[in-house]
Amino acid sequence: MIGVGKIKQYSNVLDKPLSKGKQEVSLSAFAFLFSELVQYNQTQVDNIAELERRLEDAGYAVGARVLELLCHRDKGNRRETRLLGILSFVHSTVWKVLFGKVADSLEKGTEHEDEYMISEKELLVNKFISTPKDMGTFNCGAFVAGIVRGVLDSAGFPAVVTAHFVPMEGQQRPRTTILIKFAEEVLQREARLG
Amino acid sequence: MIVCVAVVGYQNNPLYIQSFTDADDALKLHHIVHCSLDVVDERVNNPKKSGPPLNETFLGLLYPTENYKVYGYLTNTKVKFILVTTDLDVRDADVRNFFKRFHAVYVDAVSNPFHVPGKKITSRTFAERVSTIVKSFGLSSAG
Repeated sequence: MIGVGKIKQYSNVLDKPLSKGKQEVSLSAFAFLFSELVQYNQTQVDNIAELERRLEDAGYAVGARVLELLCHRDKGNRRETRLLGILSFVHSTVWKVLFGKVADSLEKGTEHEDEYMISEKELLVNKFISTPKDMGTFNCGAFVAGIVRGVLDSAGFPAVVTAHFVPMEGQQRPRTTILIKFAEEVLQREARLG
Repeated sequence: MIVCVAVVGYQNNPLYIQSFTDADDALKLHHIVHCSLDVVDERVNNPKKSGPPLNETFLGLLYPTENYKVYGYLTNTKVKFILVTTDLDVRDADVRNFFKRFHAVYVDAVSNPFHVPGKKITSRTFAERVSTIVKSFGLSSAG
């Protein structure tokens, strides 16, 4: 039949349905905002450890909310109760929502049972940041470490999360590693669940 | 008829309790919600072998009292939603739907940067949206 299946032509642009829009935020906008965040915190504190702690606290608030949002939006009706489950959730889903891609790698620490590492060649938040030499080992990835800690803590897996630079041969900028050290009770619960 | 909804936090502290009938004593509803928390903990910690899988969010009918039914829902962050209703023939799908919408409104309320997790939810928008959902629940299950 003529006319069936034809795409509806809108005579007026106001009649067109609103598109959902791109689910993206501009990188430069975020970079500016993040640099302002770091600079603001820098004026408020007088040592590096305090600065890292503040960035991490900021990330913690983000992480707690991201977990609520993602669980409602993407995860349907399941709760994560296993360690590997929550780690792979952070490694893929959270990273994909926040940074547009999954994290580069997830490894289990060899020295201790309770250590896991998420590595990334170049953290998105560090993309436009170069730390001066006199700040030592300060890493703005502390913000991302805070996000991970927020997600894990709110899901019931208390952990200590830190960000470290790992120098790689052959590359100019060092790789960033997020080190996750779970609390004792998490390991005990995991052992109990079998 | 939904009598009351409640949001209970991670350490079983109440974050939001709202009752929708004037007849009943608010204290009694608080008491019912409080008792149902025990049932939630029991379901979470000792999964029945034949029951729902350990990590299901919707907990179902927690326990029927004299003239109320209490339903529970557990989010990923150990925040519990409790629903107290007087309907006798409430469908499971309706309650699930209700909790799904309630969860959406809750996520919006928590995403507020000024909301402190663990403190009571004081947003008026949240209260309005919750009462909208409660009203539409009554209508949809009346058919």
